[in-house]
Amino acid sequence: MVAGTDALLRGEGEYAAGQARLPWPGLAMFVVLGGAVYGACMGSFAMRPLQSFYSACKVPLLLGLTTAVCLPSFFVLNTILGLRSDFRAACRGVLASQATVAVGLASLAPVAMVGYASSSDYRLAIVLNGVCFLAAALAGQCTLARHYTPLLSAEPKHHAPRALWGVLYVFVAVQLAWVLRPFVGDPALAPHFFREEAWSNAYVVVTRTVVELLGSMLPH
Amino acid sequence: MNHWLTTTDRLLRGGFTRPDDLRQGRIRAPLTALVGLGLGLGAIYGAFMGLFGILRPENPEPLQLLATTLKVPLLFLLTLVVTFPSLYVVSALANSRLRAPDTLRLLLVAVAVNLALLASFGPVTAFFTLSTESYPFMVVLNVTFFTIAGLVGLTFLRRALAHVFAPSTDLPVEAAHEASEQAAAAAPAPVAPAKRRKGSRARRIFAAWTLIYAVVGAQMGWILRPFIGDPRLPLTLFRDRQSNFFAAVLDALYALVVE
Repeated sequence: MVAGTDALLRGEGEYAAGQARLPWPGLAMFVVLGGAVYGACMGSFAMRPLQSFYSACKVPLLLGLTTAVCLPSFFVLNTILGLRSDFRAACRGVLASQATVAVGLASLAPVAMVGYASSSDYRLAIVLNGVCFLAAALAGQCTLARHYTPLLSAEPKHHAPRALWGVLYVFVAVQLAWVLRPFVGDPALAPHFFREEAWSNAYVVVTRTVVELLGSMLPH
Repeated sequence: MNHWLTTTDRLLRGGFTRPDDLRQGRIRAPLTALVGLGLGLGAIYGAFMGLFGILRPENPEPLQLLATTLKVPLLFLLTLVVTFPSLYVVSALANSRLRAPDTLRLLLVAVAVNLALLASFGPVTAFFTLSTESYPFMVVLNVTFFTIAGLVGLTFLRRALAHVFAPSTDLPVEAAHEASEQAAAAAPAPVAPAKRRKGSRARRIFAAWTLIYAVVGAQMGWILRPFIGDPRLPLTLFRDRQSNFFAAVLDALYALVVE
């Protein structure tokens, strides 16, 4: 397991760019285990085992479902651009980057726990987890860049599907995270897998909040 | 099923628009297969788009799903029916190598590529439909996906036209390019201007086709609306003639911010 993680992070062995075989069982295992470890820590803010269990299920779901929703468009754009022969390599890159995000999150779990131990402020806990996700996402980008470097040097057209993947992935992930909330768990509320108002739209809520904020700042 | 998947795969890989065939003014694709593919792929995205009609909290309308499933492929194919004569005239005036049937095949291939990418956005649309009650958001999301798919379809068409108007030669494009560069270096006058003329002709045809198809397509979409179905209005197959597509998109953006 440790050797496999090392190989994933260094891009060596079966996780090296350019390998013929797609090691999806290993990559899926990293997403499930890494996501579950971080989720369990993330949900432990109010020391409630049920919320920890829910979050341990939800973080791998967030990574896996977002990938599943975005892959069809990624596949079709690669094919249209004549990059189908490289799709296996591109797919290995995006899946390895997901596994790296999960491993990165798991590595940040102790940091989150120290943060929880330092403050009981719920909003601070949310910001702390946001920073952890951002750092893990950057680690995922390093892996993606490693896999895409040989592809881009051979064919610059790979820029387009890579950009589409990035934009679409963030767009879907933000909404899916909104649907799957709470991850940290507000101590004032009972643990829930979904909030009652789960099926709303993050972008609409954020847009309206910004408009209200700007409205309140304008002189009457 | 397997036949359609194979045909779609061949379409996306450029199997129907090989550079050698395009330079000889040929498109090796049966018209019926291209029309069938366009109808099928459009119906797939239409079904995803129409889901909002069933899942919206106010006035769910199952018939909206059926109507949108039919309307999306019709939108593209009716636009092509309306614009094909003018597109062909523009192309023929520019002395294109493509005759009328092959011009139609090329346009159908571009439409099918557009619809294939649109269909691949279906899962994203379905996910946001499940998690959104905002009608303006769904309008903006669908317009965004139609725009992206349209741009990719246009890129595909532009590349194909570059081959159609490429200089007559038996050499592959890269080799012809190198040869023309060498010739230009040795004697600049004869080869380079001819090549530039061909290239600019392809660009002009592409610009004219895009303008005609986009304007008619946008207004055809407006005529065939509703596609998503405004929850505040009763189900109708078609709405009254009023306003236009561009004003409606601006209204949806305004509603998304202000409502």
